Amino acid sequence: MSTEVDDSEIDVIKASDVKIFPYRILKPKTAEKILNDIFELDGILRVLINGENLPQVVNMGPAKGEPVNHTDRTTININGNEVPLSVSVGEIILTVQLDNLDDFVSQVNDILDKHIDFGFSVSTGIFTKTTTSVSDYMKYGEGFEGRVDSRLIGLVDPSAKSSESVRYIR
Amino acid sequence: MAYEVQYYPGESVIAENRKKHLNPDHELEKLRTIADDDIVKLLSHRNPGEGYKTVHPPLDEMDFEEDAMKDFVEPIDGAKKGIRIRYVQFTDSMYNAPAQPYDRARTYLRRFRGVDTGTLSGRQVVEMRESELEEVSKILLESELFDTAKTGLRGATVHGHSLRLDENGLMFDALQRYVYDEDKGHVVYVKDQVGVELDEPIDVGEPLPEDKLKEITTIYRYDNVSLRDDPEVIKVVEEVHFARTNGGYGLEVLNDDLQSKLGGN
Repeated sequence: MSTEVDDSEIDVIKASDVKIFPYRILKPKTAEKILNDIFELDGILRVLINGENLPQVVNMGPAKGEPVNHTDRTTININGNEVPLSVSVGEIILTVQLDNLDDFVSQVNDILDKHIDFGFSVSTGIFTKTTTSVSDYMKYGEGFEGRVDSRLIGLVDPSAKSSESVRYIR
Repeated sequence: MAYEVQYYPGESVIAENRKKHLNPDHELEKLRTIADDDIVKLLSHRNPGEGYKTVHPPLDEMDFEEDAMKDFVEPIDGAKKGIRIRYVQFTDSMYNAPAQPYDRARTYLRRFRGVDTGTLSGRQVVEMRESELEEVSKILLESELFDTAKTGLRGATVHGHSLRLDENGLMFDALQRYVYDEDKGHVVYVKDQVGVELDEPIDVGEPLPEDKLKEITTIYRYDNVSLRDDPEVIKVVEEVHFARTNGGYGLEVLNDDLQSKLGGN
């Protein structure tokens, strides 16, 4: 069986990733401001927020089962869409269209300068999966190509529920 | 010939701080005051005012076999009374926390009696008789071994020592046992060490400034004092490394053995 994918059959998105790495873990408020400004820029295909998982209940030790109520596990508002955070905002990976990448990066730098006073780095490259792998088949089943939005492939953990971890922002 | 105890090699400020921690004659600087009852609440082993639970009768009432060692070693008070053993555990951020696990282990063993301590990469647990534990915890929390932002009192779910700090300079804690009071500029514990919410928050004071932390930390960092800047430490580390490698593998023994098998001496 060949694993080659015929590019002519699927819609190929020519895109690159921009990784924002702040030198401190962001508060939800700061992340909200940054993301709202970034969403006004052109060319964004998707946004990935990475960070430490924030549990809802204590899952080990004598306090097992107690609620955590972490103030960073909150809902932020992006372009009028409610986005519940389940992680602390450690890094933001933006997938953008390749043709306006340089402009985009300088605009992102300006936005970060405005909101962050403790340093950050912005790098471009590929920071998300670009090809279909076993994890995607585990998550979506056989023959999912064409059935699933191609932006979702490789985006989330196979065991995570998409309804909790993916939000469409229009 | 009398020797003066060196405690730790090196001449940098980091080495000096390590020496201070290890030297029981050096009085640790007291940086804050936390009420005894608050410490009992933070440890969460008993309620304030409650008696200590015991696991065996007082030693005086117990029969033992003849053992000279028992005459040599004076038991600590908690052991005499048969009080149970409890623990306290700290996590130290890599961002210039005043102490770190190995330093804590050495410090505990140098300074306190009746301790059983365990070193892990990001946390240091110490088990003691509960009554002594509370006294020791008070010293540990109030002294220069503790910073309210870069050190965490964490009994379980300790993850965070190697992560970036949050915007207020606090070490990440998935259970958010402590929060930063932005009006007062203080760190306030809202949960005890295992993550159960406290009835009333406990104010542990303001975090130490970055400059002060750089002066009192025992962590070598490239952006503060690098380990490579302390030749004596490097020398000791290398000596330990080579002694372990050669001694551990027994290369000389192997060599002799191999020669005899090959028909040599």
